[in-house]
Amino acid sequence: MRRRYGRIVEIALFILPFAAFWILFRLGPVLYGFFISLYRWDPLGDAKFIGARNYLNLARDPRFWNALVNTLEFAAIAIPLIVGIGLVLALFIFAGRKRRVTTWLEAGFFFPYLLTVSVVGLIWRWLLDPDFGIVLIALRDMGIDPPVFLNEPRWAIPAIALATAWWLAGYRMLLFRAALEDIPDEFYEAARIDGASGALVFFSIVLPLLRPAILFALVLTTISGFIVFGQVLIMTAGGPGRASEVLALYLYRFGFEYLEMGQAAAVGMVLFLIILGMTLVSFRWLGFESSL
Amino acid sequence: MARLRVVPVTAARLGPRLLVAVVAALALLWVAPIAWMFTTGIKPAPEIFALPPTWIPQRPTLDHVHEVLSRWPFLRWTLNSVVVAGATTVLSVLVSVPAAYAFSRLRWRGRDAIFLVFLSSMLIPLEVNVIPLYFLMNRLHLLNTYPAVFLPMIGMPIGIFLLRQFYINIPGELDDAARVDGCGNLRILWHVILPLSRPALAALVIYMFTFAWNEFFWSMIALSSPQMFTLPIGLRALQGAYDIDYGVLMAGAAMAVLPTLMLFLFLRGSIIRGITMTAHK
Amino acid sequence: MGWREESAHSTPVSRRTFLKTTAAAAAVAAVGAARIPSVMAQERVTTLDYYTLFHSGDAAAMERIVRLFNTENRAVRLNLLQGQWAEYYAQLFAAVGSGNAPHIGICHSSRVMDVYRALTPLEESRAGNLLDAAGIRAPQYTKSVWDAGVFEGKRYLVPLDTHMWGLWYNKDLFRRAGLDPDKPPESREDFERAADAIKTRTGQFAFHPAEDALPRKLRRAWEMLFWGGGGSLLTPDGKRAAFNDERGMRALDYLVGMIHRRGWNAPGTDGFKQFAAGQLGMLIAGNWYFPTAKAAGVNFGFHYVPKFFEKPTTWGDSHNLVIPRQRPERASDDVLVAAARAIKWINERSSIWGIYGGHIPAFLPAQRAKDLQDSETWQIALSKFAYMANQGWLHYPLVHPLAPRVHAAIEPHIQEAYNGRLTPRDALTRAEAEVNRVLTG
Repeated sequence: MRRRYGRIVEIALFILPFAAFWILFRLGPVLYGFFISLYRWDPLGDAKFIGARNYLNLARDPRFWNALVNTLEFAAIAIPLIVGIGLVLALFIFAGRKRRVTTWLEAGFFFPYLLTVSVVGLIWRWLLDPDFGIVLIALRDMGIDPPVFLNEPRWAIPAIALATAWWLAGYRMLLFRAALEDIPDEFYEAARIDGASGALVFFSIVLPLLRPAILFALVLTTISGFIVFGQVLIMTAGGPGRASEVLALYLYRFGFEYLEMGQAAAVGMVLFLIILGMTLVSFRWLGFESSL
Repeated sequence: MARLRVVPVTAARLGPRLLVAVVAALALLWVAPIAWMFTTGIKPAPEIFALPPTWIPQRPTLDHVHEVLSRWPFLRWTLNSVVVAGATTVLSVLVSVPAAYAFSRLRWRGRDAIFLVFLSSMLIPLEVNVIPLYFLMNRLHLLNTYPAVFLPMIGMPIGIFLLRQFYINIPGELDDAARVDGCGNLRILWHVILPLSRPALAALVIYMFTFAWNEFFWSMIALSSPQMFTLPIGLRALQGAYDIDYGVLMAGAAMAVLPTLMLFLFLRGSIIRGITMTAHK
Repeated sequence: MGWREESAHSTPVSRRTFLKTTAAAAAVAAVGAARIPSVMAQERVTTLDYYTLFHSGDAAAMERIVRLFNTENRAVRLNLLQGQWAEYYAQLFAAVGSGNAPHIGICHSSRVMDVYRALTPLEESRAGNLLDAAGIRAPQYTKSVWDAGVFEGKRYLVPLDTHMWGLWYNKDLFRRAGLDPDKPPESREDFERAADAIKTRTGQFAFHPAEDALPRKLRRAWEMLFWGGGGSLLTPDGKRAAFNDERGMRALDYLVGMIHRRGWNAPGTDGFKQFAAGQLGMLIAGNWYFPTAKAAGVNFGFHYVPKFFEKPTTWGDSHNLVIPRQRPERASDDVLVAAARAIKWINERSSIWGIYGGHIPAFLPAQRAKDLQDSETWQIALSKFAYMANQGWLHYPLVHPLAPRVHAAIEPHIQEAYNGRLTPRDALTRAEAEVNRVLTG
């Protein structure tokens, strides 16, 4: 009897520190956030209960829907770019894996991942500067008349997505390269002996075996795409107009510039529900429970 | 941007040298923006805006660097980032190691269910909680302090997930042998499991440190005075003040990148290995 | 002047007191020179937290003032925290709400209507009339700024400065365009002629109406033209938009025409950079641009904004010093008085603010101080800014509890019109709809 309780206490002690942080700073805030979203908050801290009004305000606010659409547009462009470029780079690196220079090439593709978002935003803002950005100058030298990407509503989000892909693809490249290395050499040998063409090998053997890694990268990237914030703030601040105002930026502005904390908390809840939904669906998809 | 369809297994046909050359050119193009940032940071203002642009600065100057260092607490920002990232990493490891052990090597009722609950929150980012966290930290009078920034980053399930995956693959016989010798769980963890889990710990440390170092949204909200900014937030403040002066902005960005670059050149192998380790089965 | 004189003993020192004091001094000295820092700490030094929203040139100027303060005042110390412009008021509210408010803060005159609740009413504080305690009196300040510091009969703001937009021009480009560099344009016709001349004869950009063309700056540029025709953003009761009329249209159409019909510049460009690179003939920007223009080495001049429509008008605002609401436990009555006196002290030294920050001090003795009047900043630019203020050409932005949201509702549409993607008619209609939604929602 005492041993049973002793065991329970012991296990509790192992788990408690982690659980405490998780409850205080992960679960708690979600519940607290829900609570906050039901009130109208005075900037000085007084609160007035208004029930679901914040959510109604969101539903009726074209600016909220604009932010949602912009976020989806960003995700739709950035995710294939990040995962796709990562995959292509991984294939290159894997193909050249026998050579020493390849480790350096891989390092080069990976390095931007270690930069902070501010640096990435600043670099690309400078590259795409309307007057002196070298990308625009180079394009003009090549005879193309480029749009001023960061100042065009149709180009702002794609430009930010491209910068994000440059930043993050390197990490996916490593994941895929590792997955490619996990494929036993016999597969490649067998295919080569059979005289199968490269394309056939790729599509019928390699790609299916990479499926778990690709799916995992897709889920991770999609979720981080939904909360994109830093690059947008630094590169366009949501502009031109509202063309690149994404959900996180909308949340931030309502919370800290207009001091509508309740409504901002409601946006946080909406984001939470979307991401939770995506998480549960992808767990089913990726079969996470079976790996337990 | 078109997706290149290249099939690597036909490398033999393409000519391996050509392939490497193409990839090398691509890699150079890939890191060119970083080089451009460095050169801009040491060019005097008129040269920055000169057309046609010059790749090698004709009259390099440290004026912008001086401007950043003298007018802003840049070194303090770096220190703040080190403190925040360090505290996050150390505390994360400290709480994740025993928890992951309990979830993997011990059997108890409700273990998998509770783990699933923790896991389900793994992909939920910090950003959705900024408003309640702000309220919370305000109540606790912790706004604009280090704990406000690093505390919310510690209960992240990625740690227990990673470590548990690794622990599961450690043979159970080692535990049994130790138990026969009379070791309790704690000693097993300390003497048997931990020494074997260096690769996983390394991967976790790299992940958490990078994550905390680069955290932006919450840090921006929690920190209000320039003395307390972490590096990403400080750079943004630089932009807010100098959105007209690319020399200063690029110099600041370059200074922020330099330590990362140095570290990467030295530890490139370990860092990459650490990350790919999490990807290998 | 400081209040250390006021706090010194005014009663005759008796012999016993003298002996006691000498003995105490000897004891202190005996403790040793190495312990001087802790001895200093034993004196009651009041530390005041001073939280600002300044950046760049402004911030440097304020740092100078604070350094001077800390050198000259032994009993009080100012602890300067320069915060972020965008989140300043949110941080201020949060600090007041959690009882940790800074002792001295900044407030724009245009924000008094929504920020006042976080501020101490200076004449009716719990420590009495702080204005009297510090010697702050109305006649010492520019009247319009002083008057703006009151809300619902209570005074919350002590003026620090006025800042506004004016016309910066490149004298070399003027010469190349065949214009007289010492006679910048004042009327609309002269201005248009000058801009066209610069464009055709030098091939550089002729004019940029709004600093770096950030959305809020474009909105200000349009507002200037709109106010010049006598318009105002909202109806007098502040409940509906009132700018979608012929005056608003004329203003926006003129602004947009500068870029798309007359070709004086391109959309989305940064006037600060263009001017500093010597590629811009004329720029409308704030008085704080002075140090940048100087550092860029451009041969520049400065003049009043031209009279575009019925009345020459420029956008401007004022910074004020305030005392946010304090908990009694954190700030005793003495501390409140000390804060008020520090505010007075900063005002008295605000000629520094003018010389290095480029703003016009609202404290008249500082505005008239010799060092400011003799400075280059004054000679070239500030004197003309002061002229515009005195002529009444300065127009404050909207004063309304929801002003930030109203502005945010207008800005993207103005920007899109400026970029050529919305007709002025559509832009104003959409802006009006959004503003009305904000005001009623």
